[in-house]
Amino acid sequence: MSDGKAFSVDIGSLKKRPKGEGSQQTAAVDKAAEKLGFVEREPKRKGGRAPSPRTGQVHAKVYPHVQEQIAAEARLKGTQQGVVIEEAWALYCEKHGIERQE
Amino acid sequence: MPVIVIASPKGGAGKSTTAVILGTELAQAGAQVTMMDCDPNQSLSLWSQRSALPDRMRLVSDLTEASIIKSIKECDEDGALVVVDLEGVASRLVSRAISQADLVIIPMRPTTLDANIGVRALALIAEEEEALSREIPHCVVFTMTSAIQPRSQAAIEESLIGQGVDVVKPYLMQRAAYAALFEFGGNLRTIPAQGNMQSAQENAQGFAQAVFARLTRKSGEQGA
Repeated sequence: MSDGKAFSVDIGSLKKRPKGEGSQQTAAVDKAAEKLGFVEREPKRKGGRAPSPRTGQVHAKVYPHVQEQIAAEARLKGTQQGVVIEEAWALYCEKHGIERQE
Repeated sequence: MPVIVIASPKGGAGKSTTAVILGTELAQAGAQVTMMDCDPNQSLSLWSQRSALPDRMRLVSDLTEASIIKSIKECDEDGALVVVDLEGVASRLVSRAISQADLVIIPMRPTTLDANIGVRALALIAEEEEALSREIPHCVVFTMTSAIQPRSQAAIEESLIGQGVDVVKPYLMQRAAYAALFEFGGNLRTIPAQGNMQSAQENAQGFAQAVFARLTRKSGEQGA
């Protein structure tokens, strides 16, 4: 095997050439390519809302009027009922000196 | 500096092998080479992970339809050649990359199936030339050829030349050393000996020289 240069090239003789740019050019290329079946093939992002990170679930039975108040408060704040429970839990931790995980 | 796009909608035609041989030989010859890996199989990335990249080479990967044109333009600068390895499907990524090419190389095994599918790339280039109102120089290279040329290969070549298609010579032969590039990384001068290394090096060098001559020729014509 040889470690030397097999041949040498003078890239100084090669100049950058304008190839046009802009969305109009890209659209023209896409249109021309589509006729021959060269189409968009990358997977599309799934639509809809991103899944909630709140995956934990509590199993709480409360008096009906408490349930109604929690539901009404959540509606008023525009959140899920879990957010109200999280706030209540934060206050509970503070009151009882419990270290709360964030 | 020239952007060389390796394209064929057919998988297994030898695009990544062609890209690595061309890139490493041109870097060995003194050029700064940016390799762009647009193949979802990430063949070039796998090659680059096997050992340190040869001198004067760098790799850009994770390219998408949305980013390909911008990425090529960013790399298309004085002092560097750009070699773009595309995926083996008919996609918008392929057509957009070709729109930025100074030379498109279409690797083709010497089979009727490869030729029939490879012709789709030629048709795409013709459509893009019309859409962009500029010439996109292109050529075909036969890959994985054997020393004994079958009749079918001669017929395919004759047909292509008859249609005005530029066919690069020498062809890229079937060589154990070419496959080994993806096992060991690096270039044909750094990998452990595989078969007839001298023959592989001469073949690769001849191919790179033939491609470089096309870049120079086309550059001169357009610059005149």
